[in-house]
Amino acid sequence: MDFDESSVKVATQEFVAVVLAGFGTNLIPLTSNHGDEPCPKALLPIANRPMLDYPLSWLEGSRIRDVLLICPAPQKAAISHYLHSDSSASSFPSLRIDLQIYDETVESGQGTCDVLRQIANRIKQDFVVIPCDFVPPPSFNLTAVLDKFRTESTYDGSIATACFFEAPKPDKNTVTEEWGMLPPPLPIVWDNKTGTLLHVDTPDDFDQHNEDLQLTMSLLTSYPRAMLSTSFQDAHVYVCRRSVLDALQEKSDIESLREEFIPWLCEIQYSTSKRAKYGAILNPPSNATTQNLALQHSTLHTTLPKHPHHLAPPSTEDVRTAASSPLDPEPAEFHDVSFRVGIILHRATQGFAARANTLQTYLDVNRHCLTQTTYSLPTDSESRALIDTKAQISSDSMVGHTTKVGERTSIKKSVIGKHCIIGKMVKVVGCVVLDHCVIADGAKLDGCILGKNTKIGAKAELSKCVTQAGYEVEGGESFKNEKLDVSDWTVPDDTSEEDDNAQSDVGDDSA
Amino acid sequence: MAPPPALPVHPPSGPHHDSKPPKKSQKEMTKAERKELQERQRAAKAEAKASSQPSSSTPAQKKSNKPAEIVPRPPPTPGRAPREATRGAAAVAHETAAGANERGLRIFSHFGLPKAVSAPKGDIHPVTLRLALQFSEFKIVGANARCIATLIAFKTVIQDYVTPQNTTLSRHLMTHLSPQISHLVAARPMSVTMGNAIRQLKLEISGSDIDLPEQDAKDLLCAKIDQYLSERVLAADGIIEENGQKKIKDGDVILTYARSSVVEKVLLAAHESGRRFSVIVVDSRPLLEGKRLLSVLSHAGIKCKYILLPSIGSIITEVSTVIVGAHSIHTNGAVYSRAGTALVAMMAKQHSIPFIVCCETYKFSEGVQLDSFTKNELAPPGDRIATFPLTKPRESLTLANSPHLEVLNPLYDLTPPTSITAVVTEVGIVPPNSISSIPVALGRLL
Repeated sequence: MDFDESSVKVATQEFVAVVLAGFGTNLIPLTSNHGDEPCPKALLPIANRPMLDYPLSWLEGSRIRDVLLICPAPQKAAISHYLHSDSSASSFPSLRIDLQIYDETVESGQGTCDVLRQIANRIKQDFVVIPCDFVPPPSFNLTAVLDKFRTESTYDGSIATACFFEAPKPDKNTVTEEWGMLPPPLPIVWDNKTGTLLHVDTPDDFDQHNEDLQLTMSLLTSYPRAMLSTSFQDAHVYVCRRSVLDALQEKSDIESLREEFIPWLCEIQYSTSKRAKYGAILNPPSNATTQNLALQHSTLHTTLPKHPHHLAPPSTEDVRTAASSPLDPEPAEFHDVSFRVGIILHRATQGFAARANTLQTYLDVNRHCLTQTTYSLPTDSESRALIDTKAQISSDSMVGHTTKVGERTSIKKSVIGKHCIIGKMVKVVGCVVLDHCVIADGAKLDGCILGKNTKIGAKAELSKCVTQAGYEVEGGESFKNEKLDVSDWTVPDDTSEEDDNAQSDVGDDSA
Repeated sequence: MAPPPALPVHPPSGPHHDSKPPKKSQKEMTKAERKELQERQRAAKAEAKASSQPSSSTPAQKKSNKPAEIVPRPPPTPGRAPREATRGAAAVAHETAAGANERGLRIFSHFGLPKAVSAPKGDIHPVTLRLALQFSEFKIVGANARCIATLIAFKTVIQDYVTPQNTTLSRHLMTHLSPQISHLVAARPMSVTMGNAIRQLKLEISGSDIDLPEQDAKDLLCAKIDQYLSERVLAADGIIEENGQKKIKDGDVILTYARSSVVEKVLLAAHESGRRFSVIVVDSRPLLEGKRLLSVLSHAGIKCKYILLPSIGSIITEVSTVIVGAHSIHTNGAVYSRAGTALVAMMAKQHSIPFIVCCETYKFSEGVQLDSFTKNELAPPGDRIATFPLTKPRESLTLANSPHLEVLNPLYDLTPPTSITAVVTEVGIVPPNSISSIPVALGRLL
């Protein structure tokens, strides 16, 4: 009986996933408000599926059940609506998603660490932090990251596992400078044999030391065969022990997880002063039974430290503990616990991974998803009827349902959303068009990202532009490499009115 | 010579005879052609057999069987067989290189290859998941260590267990534990110590009183587990230390193989009690456990020498006693231990050096084992185990599977009782054959 089953199933969920949905400040104007409604970054579609779908499906495949989804207060309604809609309920049946808000506005600039501090009391076990914009490759399983964390935290006292991927280098001509600076290359130092993350350069380090990379000698003594690379980017996927949150509370001046906290965590493993200070917090004595006794008997494990300078003067007492210990869990001596931060590297050859958090990467991810599927005309007759027979839609495009495509329109390498109306003789190449857009006849779009409800007038030409939701482009206008923002209009108070033509003033928006 | 009488060529009656040359009699064919023909016939036989019987029966069949089973493609037509026969080993390599985990191991194919831990079936407790990972990644290795780890993990599982509505703890807990045990076995085959401990646990569970409130019953079980560990593992180790020390005199040269937790304790205890002796640690790949023993012993101040197994012949004459540990000991007195122990035993016997095995009674297995081929385990390929820094890159020092080389790493071997002088257990020092007469070992007296 179901009744019995539920009471037998042990409710100790090993991990809770924390999915962070931010504002998406690097995706403005796509994430700017549509009138009064917010356009949450988490719901921006990638290949016509909301961005949030991807990390949630990833979680679904890894047998984690509890998900804590954090979003800013204004976005709560939209995200909650999506979570309860039919499409999401069927795609993630086993996830229990708890939507929480954090009080923040774009201006207050709270970092991810503050968010975690706010929700710390809801997290009672080891947790995984995932950003809403990470698109994992199908070959990469979250279970691999979890397994590494599970193995190492039991064996070694490791405190976290991070995930870095090798981003494909964009071609020169596809990068549009006006959309924002590419993120600077991030040097990281890691040890390949044990998979330990040793050092991540922070922006502070970069400012202070300019051209140099500074490493401590204790790092090199512990890991003489470390490797250095700048071609990896942080996936912002961190599996951490619960005690890491306590350490976070201690360091109340740290704001950003990725930029400050993880580099700080990496230093604990080889810095004796930090170890002494934070060791007790990160490895609290607890009543939970550990495998220390078994590890003492294990033939491939020694409790001796690797290097003499790490230890107190050797006494035979330490070595004899295996024989004389009773069965109570031993207080973990600090030279047993390594406080390592593990790392999993995902190479470009293993599959495409990206974080869609800037305009450039958003476009790249969409393009990549297009290469994975081929387009075929929709099967239901209603959608079919809307697409004109003389329209040319190439096989590497994607068109959402109920989208009307006029005759002699050519669509190549593009993602078109749902309920769009595309007129005749339109040329769309390499674009991402969100839902409900209207593109009038004869328009030409090249490498653009159009927000929801954008209206493009007849014979307009747009090249590498980004428009905010609800923007209107007059007929015959032409823009190149610009971010088109509704605030450039002088008047409008309602959204998308045909009457206001007062927008002849379109300035150049810099990031 | 007269031209060879050609047999009549039959008209092609199907795809079979398309590329076949006109049949010659066996005498006329060259050796290569005869071999071709033989391979063709074998391949034809193999297809017929492959679908019905996946397990290979004779070694002759194995070679052609393997390509057919491993690669799930439609059986090749015999017309293509000549080409395949000449490709021979290369064919195997091509197909299996793609699925490197599915190599056809001719000799040890019956105990399979270590596979990655599969997705857990059913509701597996997180502690069990972690433990399975520790096993499959070779973090917790050794008979004692694995048994202790399993029992401690099960203590947590029992404490978190909630009896469902219509059944009792004594009946249902075992069904709850079964998937956990299967998951551990899937990670690495169960050791004899784990098996004995779990059997004892099952006995305790089925004997638990129905009238006890649930928490009391669980606490009682955990107490029983603690008692088992402390009596039969830790206290036993203590007694073995004392008994074993008697065999070590001042000025002795003790030889030990790989690393046994019990032998380590014996040597350290002897050193503590003031005896002056030196140790030779014999080690072997791929695990190189002896290195860890070496670091522990030298840290304690014992004089040590370290050699690899092949050079044991040069040093055996200096040795006064050989002390090793065991994974399990069988009714006929044979000791199942790390691969290489049998070699050491044989050398010791040849030079009339006493060979002592330190083994707790809970490692006793009721079966009779005569060789190490029927039951064994293969270590996973690659060298992910040694973590000592090296001067050369690791890849050049390890053998890896390449198209023409397969690496086999059996982990255990069997030492026959004739090579063993004595077995030190917690009930005394006994000859190997009389293990079966110890009641405690058989679980009768506790």
